Amino acid sequence: MKATTLFDNYTTSPNTWDEMYDQIIVRDPYKKVFEFISTIPAAELNKSEELARRLFMSQGVTFTVYSSGEGIEKIFPFDIIPRIITGAEWSFIESGIRQRLRALNLFLKDIYSTQFILKDGIIPFEMVYSCPHYIREMQNVNVPHDIYVHIAGIDLIRDHDGTFYVLEDNLRTPSGVSYMIENREITKRIFPDLIPQNNVLPVTQYPNILHKNLISLSPRQTSEPNVVLLTPGMYNSAYFEHTTLARLMGVELVEGRDLVVENQRVYMKTTSGLQQVDVIYRRVDDDFLDPLVFNPESTLGVSGILSAYRKGNVAIVNAPGNGVADDKATYMYVPEMIRYYLNEEPLLKNVPTYHLIKNDEREHVFANIHTMVIKKTNESGGYGMLMGHAASEKEIEDYKKEVLKDPRQFIAQPTISLSSAPCYINGKIQPRRVDLRPFALCGPDGIEIVPGGLTRVALREGSLVVNSSQGGGSKDTWVLAN
Amino acid sequence: MLSRVADSLYWMSRYIKRTDSVLRLLKVNYASAQDDAAFTWRPVLKIFTYLEEDEISKMEKNTRMVLHYMIIEKDNPNAVATLVTKARENARSVQDNITNELWQTLNEFYHIVRDERLALALQTKDPITTLDMLIARAMLYYGIAESTMFRGEGLNFMNIGKYLERATQSVDILDVKFSDLSYDLDKTAEVTYWKHLLQSISGYALYLKTYRSGFEARNVVELIVFNNNYPLSIIYSVNMLDRYFERLKESSDRANYDKIRFMIGRLRAKLQYSNMHTLSDQGLHKFLIELNHDLTNIGNALNEHYFAYS
Repeated sequence: MKATTLFDNYTTSPNTWDEMYDQIIVRDPYKKVFEFISTIPAAELNKSEELARRLFMSQGVTFTVYSSGEGIEKIFPFDIIPRIITGAEWSFIESGIRQRLRALNLFLKDIYSTQFILKDGIIPFEMVYSCPHYIREMQNVNVPHDIYVHIAGIDLIRDHDGTFYVLEDNLRTPSGVSYMIENREITKRIFPDLIPQNNVLPVTQYPNILHKNLISLSPRQTSEPNVVLLTPGMYNSAYFEHTTLARLMGVELVEGRDLVVENQRVYMKTTSGLQQVDVIYRRVDDDFLDPLVFNPESTLGVSGILSAYRKGNVAIVNAPGNGVADDKATYMYVPEMIRYYLNEEPLLKNVPTYHLIKNDEREHVFANIHTMVIKKTNESGGYGMLMGHAASEKEIEDYKKEVLKDPRQFIAQPTISLSSAPCYINGKIQPRRVDLRPFALCGPDGIEIVPGGLTRVALREGSLVVNSSQGGGSKDTWVLAN
Repeated sequence: MLSRVADSLYWMSRYIKRTDSVLRLLKVNYASAQDDAAFTWRPVLKIFTYLEEDEISKMEKNTRMVLHYMIIEKDNPNAVATLVTKARENARSVQDNITNELWQTLNEFYHIVRDERLALALQTKDPITTLDMLIARAMLYYGIAESTMFRGEGLNFMNIGKYLERATQSVDILDVKFSDLSYDLDKTAEVTYWKHLLQSISGYALYLKTYRSGFEARNVVELIVFNNNYPLSIIYSVNMLDRYFERLKESSDRANYDKIRFMIGRLRAKLQYSNMHTLSDQGLHKFLIELNHDLTNIGNALNEHYFAYS
C-alpha cells in the first residue's frame, strides 16, 4: 500500500468506539475503503468533495434559508467517506428495531383502546395523560390494520465498547430518508466502482415499499386509490424530501389548501373538479393537521380531516397521536413494554434514563450533573438540551430552575460518548462523532427495514450533538452483504 | 391534475418564455446601441419596467446600467434573474409532475443567474456572449421539456402558458419600436434596427426569402403578426394555443371549457381574417391594444376556471 499522510494524524479519542480503527488496526469492513482513499492524493479528494457539492446544488438537494426577503440555498453538509455497517451488525439492529416497533405499535393500540398496560400498573396513568401528544380524539378509533406507526426512524448510538443503544424512537414524522437515498447516489458519482467492490446492499427500493404500503391502506375498494403526500409547503426545511418522495412514488404532492373535506370525505381540488383522496402520507405535525381539533390558527392543515379519519374514510400516515409513544419520558418504559406485550427480553438497549419528576432520581442527577445530559421530553432537533460536561455553572443553575418549574418535562441520561468515524474535513481526515437512523416501514405484510439509513455527523470537533440544526452533517451509510 | 399544479406549470412556462423574450429584446437593442449614437433604451424601459420618468432619463443612455437592471436587479419584477427565480419556485413545488431533467435544468439556470460572476461579466465582458449563454439556457429548457415531458395535461398547461406568453411578447416587441414611430407604418425607421430585430427573433432568413424589397416596417409587421410559418408570429402562437387548449377538453368541466374555447376561437378568427390592409385601416396602435386585451382576458379566464384553488 502506498504511504499516505492523510490518515497519519488520525487520533481516536480515549473511551470511544471508532468505526474504522480498532486501536491502530483498520477494521476489516473498512479495509477496502481505507486502501482506496489512501491512494488518492488530497487534491483529488478535494475535487470529489467539490463534485458532491455541485451535484447537490444542481439537483436541488437543498433547503432554503430566508434572510431579508431573499432565499439562499443551503446544502445539508455531506461527508464523502462512507460509514460502514457489517451484515452481522445489521441483522442484530434489524431484529432489535423490529421487536421494538412491534411493542410500540401494540402500546399505541392499547393506550388508545383498552389501556391494559396502565391498568396493570406497568406505566403510570399520569405519564400518559400528562403527555401533550396524547390525543383524546384518537381514543377508540378504528385504525386500519391496527398499524399506528407506518414509518419510524430509530436513532441509534454506540457506546465505548461498540454496543448499540437506542437514543430515540421517532414515530411521528421522521425525516432524513431522502438523504439516505441521495447520499448513495452521490457516492456512486464521486467514487465510481467502490460500491460494487464492497458489496453494498442497495437502498433504492425504499420508495417502492412505502408506496406499496400506502396503497394497501386505502379504505375505498378501488384498484387505483388516490395517495397523496401532504407537505407544509416549500418554506419547510424538509421540503426537498417531500418533493423527492412524491416524485419517486409517483404520488401527488399536496398542500393543505389543495384539500377540502365534505361529508367526512377528503377531496383534492383538481382542474376537473373535486377528486376523493384515500390515503394521506402527511408530513404536517399533529398540531397543525386539523384546525378544528388542534391549533385553530393553523393554515397548513385541512379542516375536518380528523373527522374523516375517525369515520374511516381516509387513512392518515403516521396515525395522529403517536407522540405519546416517542415522548422522551415514555422512552424509559419501552423495555418494560417489550416484556409486557411480547414476553421477550429487549434486544437493543435503552440509554439509562432518569425522570426528573421522581425526587430521588432528580437529586441523583443534580448531584452528578457534570456527567449528565438533560433533555426536554417534548423537544427534538437538539433544542432545549443541557450538556452537563460542557455547560458553565451559570447555565447549570439556570437550567435547574427551569427543571424545578415543571419536572415532568425533563429527563436525564448519563453522557454517552458516541462512536467516531473518519471524516474528510479541511483537507484532513479526522474523527467525528456519529449516530445512525435506520428507517423502518410497517405495512400489513410486516415490518421492512431498508439496509442503510442516515448517519448523522457532529462536524464540530469534540461535539456530541449530531442534529442538523446544531451544525450536523451526514454520511452515506453502507450495509455490507454477508 | 391539481389546480395548483396546473397553475404552477402554466406560470413556470410563461416565466421562461418571458425570460427568453426579454433576453432577445436586450440583444437586439444592444446591437442597435452599438450601431447608432442616437440610440435610447427608453422604449424598452417604458414597456418592461415600472421605472419613474427621471430614473428612465438617468438610465436610457447607459447600456451597462440597463443590462444590469434588466438582468440582475432584484427590484425589477421583469429582470431575468427575477423571472428565472419565479419559474424555478413554480417548478420546485411541482417536481412530482415534471421530469427530473427539466427540474435540474431550471435549477441550474437559477444558480447561474444568482451567481455573482454573471454580474461581473455583464459589467466587464462582451454582453452578447453573456446574453447568448442565457438564451441557450432558455432553449435548453424548451428542448428538454419537449423531449422528456410526458404527453398529458401537465404539458398542455405548459404549452398554453408558453404560447400565450409568446403571443403577448410578440405584441410587446412590436409595441416597443412602433411607440417610438407613433405607430406610423410608413415612417421608415433605420434599416439596421429591423435587421437586428429579425435576427434576434430568428426571423431574418425567413424575411429574406419572403420579401425581396429590402427592409420595410410594413413587411416586418406582416411577418410577426400574420405569417403562419413563422413560429414566433402572433397567429402561429394563437393557433398553437388553440391546439393545446383543445386537448384539455376531455378532462375539463364543459361549461368552463366552452367559455375559454370561444375566446380563443374568436381571437384566432380575427387574426385569420385580417391582413395588412385591414390592419392599416384600423391603425396599428389600436390593433395591438386589442390583441393585448384579448390575450389578457384569456389569461384571466384560465385563472378563474382552471387554477382557482384557494
